[in-house]
Amino acid sequence: MRFRHLLVWDMRFQARYGFYLLYGFLTALYLVVLASLPQSWREKAAAILIFSDPAAMGLFFMGAIVLLEKSQRVTSFFAVSPLSALEYVCSKVLSLSTIGVLVAAILAIAVGCPSLPSVLAGTFLSSVLFTLIGILVATRITSLNQFLLATVPVEMLVFLPAIAHLFGLTPSILGSYPANVCMDLIAGRSFSVNGLVLTGALLLLLMFAACRSVGKMWSSAGGVKL
Amino acid sequence: MIQVSHLSFSYTKRPFIQDMTFSVGAGEIFGFLGPSGAGKSTLQKILLGMLLGYQGSAMVNGRECKNHGADFYESIGVDFEYSTMYEKLTAKENLQFFSSLYRRQDRAIPELLAAVGLEHDADKQVSDYSKGMKSRLNFVKALLHDPKLLFLDEPTSGLDPTSSRLMKDLILAEKRRGKTILLTTHNMQDAAELCDRVAFIVGGTIYALDSPHNLTLSRGAAQVTYTWLDHGEQTASCPMDKISEDSLLHRLIAENRLQSIHSSEPTLNDIFMEITGRTLV
Repeated sequence: MRFRHLLVWDMRFQARYGFYLLYGFLTALYLVVLASLPQSWREKAAAILIFSDPAAMGLFFMGAIVLLEKSQRVTSFFAVSPLSALEYVCSKVLSLSTIGVLVAAILAIAVGCPSLPSVLAGTFLSSVLFTLIGILVATRITSLNQFLLATVPVEMLVFLPAIAHLFGLTPSILGSYPANVCMDLIAGRSFSVNGLVLTGALLLLLMFAACRSVGKMWSSAGGVKL
Repeated sequence: MIQVSHLSFSYTKRPFIQDMTFSVGAGEIFGFLGPSGAGKSTLQKILLGMLLGYQGSAMVNGRECKNHGADFYESIGVDFEYSTMYEKLTAKENLQFFSSLYRRQDRAIPELLAAVGLEHDADKQVSDYSKGMKSRLNFVKALLHDPKLLFLDEPTSGLDPTSSRLMKDLILAEKRRGKTILLTTHNMQDAAELCDRVAFIVGGTIYALDSPHNLTLSRGAAQVTYTWLDHGEQTASCPMDKISEDSLLHRLIAENRLQSIHSSEPTLNDIFMEITGRTLV
């Protein structure tokens, strides 16, 4: 019951802070961009757009959300409430993934992607991956500048290999690399099953680390002053 | 409600909280008084189950704090000194959200808002609230789930006299509802007015623990201070229990030369300074 309430409220916060409006605007912009491209480019362009924005939005928005909660000291209250770090993390992941999956669905349908379930699954996995990384980074920083700086290595480790993989520029062994597995799914291509298992294991590991990190943030001096 | 026995805690190799033993009964208002860095916050963090590496025992609601379960916070309310609200949400939305985190939602939000005079500002964003309004909202947020135990951190800090009076009345009303209240404050007047018992904490040690009244009586008798004119105004004082031995006072009374005379008891602040050798700054 508490988790359901939390999820609904997280979505309400995101709506109040303009996330849905922003992504409504961006989706319209992306549709115009895709429509202006030659037909043969559209599927790959859509895959890059989906992977780099709606799927990756959790990476950037978690920084904003956590910094906002820290600045308004809501985290202090979470530390002394029945809310668990796992509920907090899952709610953030699901609420942000929902926006990502919705936008991805619109873009994939617009370009006539033949494998919609694969696109949605890839977007969801990517979104979980990025949001968890976003939480891990955001809980350790105190300013937006720090956050932007800290996400640069993440972008290099995730975006560059995945885009290179989309254009067949990576060795086959990197087909199991989690970012590449996600890109394969988003592009509606065949994917490595071992890579999917590896991605699942990585997500579990990140989930565990994110929960620990949130718990530490709540009980740290910055999170609680009594 | 709270039993602390031989509690010790350290952040480093040096002990910070040292061998504390005390208990707080149900329905009591118990005050922690001490200067900054005295260990009050650390003690509260231990009692709130946030610092687990302590020695000795700290039991809250019959449960050891370091082994608390998921529902530990269902019966605890915390009012922080600062606002812990989403500024872009209204007061009512904030209370609805925070209330949804609890299994029990026994206190009606409109009634709580009315109790602190915010019923007409319920739909206003918290960012538009004054400090006093935020303090009152923060206080009722701690009551949403009708907890048995309330932790209040400097509840009157920065409030104007009217808001401060309102806050103290609210605290006393919650005591009448049967709540146990732990109060941390620098304000000795508040402590004397609100607390059934207070603990003076300095350097992680409890120096004294008793009711404000007993502490006042046990340390230093009331003084009688009087003035008279003799080449300008002169002042003298003597302990109340030695008044019959003060020949000067007797003579001044007999000669009707007293300009003024009044008695004064030591304040809690005086007692704190006398016992701990420290001020509360």
